[in-house]
Amino acid sequence: MKRTSVSAAAITAAIGLALTGCSGAPAQQEDEGPVTLSVSVWNMEQTPEFQALFDAFEKANPDITIEPVDILADDYSEKVTTMLAGGDKTDVLTMKNVTDYARYANRGQLLDVSDVVESLGADNLAGIEPFDLDGKYFSVPYRQDFWLLYYNKGLFDAAGVDYPDHITWDEYRSLAEKLTGETGGQKVYGTYQHYWRSVVQAIAAAQTGGDLLSGDYDFMEDQYKLALELQNGGYALDFGTAKTQQISYRTMFETGQAAMMPMGTWYISGIAAAIADGKSTVDWGVAPMPQIDSGDDTVTFGSPTAFAVNKNSEHEAAAKKFLEFAAGEEGAKAIAAIGVVPAFSSDDVTAAFTALPTDDLSVTTFNEPKDVVLEMPVSENSSDISTILDEEHELIMVGDSDIASGIATMDERVTRDVLE
Amino acid sequence: MAIAATRAPMRQESRARARRNALVGWSFILPNFIGFAVLTLVPMGAAFVVAFMEWDSYSPPEWVGFDNFERMLRDQSFWIALGNTAYYAAGHIPLTMLAALGLALLLNKRIRGLGFFRTTMFFPYITSLVAVAVVWNMLFNPTMGPINQFLEWIGVQDPPGWTTTSAWSMPAVIITSVWRDMGYYMVLYLAGLQAIPQEYYEAAHVDGANAWQRFWNITIPSLRPTTFFVLIMVTIASFKVFDLIVVMTDGGPGRSTLVLSQLIYREGIKENRFGYSSAISLVLFLIVLVFTVVQFRIQKRKED
Repeated sequence: MKRTSVSAAAITAAIGLALTGCSGAPAQQEDEGPVTLSVSVWNMEQTPEFQALFDAFEKANPDITIEPVDILADDYSEKVTTMLAGGDKTDVLTMKNVTDYARYANRGQLLDVSDVVESLGADNLAGIEPFDLDGKYFSVPYRQDFWLLYYNKGLFDAAGVDYPDHITWDEYRSLAEKLTGETGGQKVYGTYQHYWRSVVQAIAAAQTGGDLLSGDYDFMEDQYKLALELQNGGYALDFGTAKTQQISYRTMFETGQAAMMPMGTWYISGIAAAIADGKSTVDWGVAPMPQIDSGDDTVTFGSPTAFAVNKNSEHEAAAKKFLEFAAGEEGAKAIAAIGVVPAFSSDDVTAAFTALPTDDLSVTTFNEPKDVVLEMPVSENSSDISTILDEEHELIMVGDSDIASGIATMDERVTRDVLE
Repeated sequence: MAIAATRAPMRQESRARARRNALVGWSFILPNFIGFAVLTLVPMGAAFVVAFMEWDSYSPPEWVGFDNFERMLRDQSFWIALGNTAYYAAGHIPLTMLAALGLALLLNKRIRGLGFFRTTMFFPYITSLVAVAVVWNMLFNPTMGPINQFLEWIGVQDPPGWTTTSAWSMPAVIITSVWRDMGYYMVLYLAGLQAIPQEYYEAAHVDGANAWQRFWNITIPSLRPTTFFVLIMVTIASFKVFDLIVVMTDGGPGRSTLVLSQLIYREGIKENRFGYSSAISLVLFLIVLVFTVVQFRIQKRKED
């Protein structure tokens, strides 16, 4: 008898344990007074813009406290997708890319924030276009990264060549050749092209008007030719080594192993910090991305980052207040101060952007009007097409496919497996 | 009559005790069983249903019959992944077993520093997989890696590009995984070797059998149960390979090392096509099941 009751108790306890694990905590009421606003972010430690924004916002709104929900950058999309599917109530969600944004918005998981966009003025917000879903906005961009050309002034001076001021791809190639050599026993590459497919494909699409979702990729031919010439001539580290050894583009540039490097504006704060910490002594500047013909207007590619409000949020008013602040002039100044490119533009914001080198070329590169094409257009097929383009990119770059057959395979696979 | 009357309550009592014992037993395994049921059994069962549905984990699932399987037949990536999985298994299973057996035979002798060598051989298995993949990628580096430098030194004119070429990426992965796994299976073989009675060898020695004959006629047959167990374990592990490939090549270059479990992960977790992903996992399950059943059959026939 005694033993029965013990076992019964054990079973009840075990089942009870399992059940409490499943039941949710009771819903909380919106507080009258101070509000705690939760915001999903990634790699908080390495992404200082979040802290800068939160500090500035809390200072301006003492009754609102920000509680960051820190998520590993690599898992961010999957984690947020799962959170939303489970009815999570995190108030503000950071949209890491436009593809995820479209997915969440189309599922009705985000709050309509068109009023915030209207009060900030859509014209003041760079990179707002892809967030327009049938005239409504479910997210407001606060930063707009675009690609430019980083260069090492010391290596240019040593080689006795002019800085890459509005150059063409042909000039870029011959500069890479001239700048390749050796200093102090270390091999110096004329340029470093990171192994991401966008380095070849997105810039080709932006400058030729090609469409990465079209299934017709002939427009990539010239860029591939250039990329292969650079690595086969030894003017750039070869793709196979860069990819399998997981080479860090930061190391390549910060240790002076590459004289030029096409990269996004997010790296401005990174290299500025490396130099401030004494980890690098490179004298650097930025120039516009090389263009196809000289005299062309500057065309490059990039992608915005945005904040959205969770439909399940219990602090709607406070969340919208945060969006308006973060994407507006105050937020823009806060992140510009640490070298992050804000979506909101004004003279004051540019003045706050102190991480940028002060030479004319760098300032012009930053301020001149330019056409920033979205890195990967948004559609339900973006992700599938992206996988195919990645795979075929690798085969072309390691030399297992020649350019023509690689592009033909992209066309064929995208058309047959995705579009049809 | 009287005896029967006394027996009935006794039987009842023993039945009650048996039930009580069973309950106590269940309550002991319950905490573990709940975890197993919630995290393994239910999802596994669900995969059989989801495979016939279209489901993105968010919208309500939709019954689509055999659509996912038809899609699989048309999906080039599926066939490539299937071929690559077979390629990997065909290299990994025999090489791992040979290496493990060879090591076990070497380390079954009384030599100085035996414990040290056994530990060394087991080390790769407990090393972090990411570290293994990163270090082997460095060793395989076509221009600066020690493997190709060695090959050039012994006179190989045009050493392979290993993980930077489609043709050699799978062999590179197989070599790495054999190196990693052999220590574990070596321990199993060592246990098997030590269970063989020494008298067999003494008797064979007296009869004049040479080392090869002793190995072939005593060691191999006596190891059969161990070999069978190792074979089953390596086969299952081979078909499920995922982590090493993801870290080492991520399926590339192109799709040259894309395997089934990676495709399942990509279609399910990345693309949110849980129906299609479940359908592929069912196929993988069937393949492993068929292989295991066939191996059991062969083993049984040999025993009879």
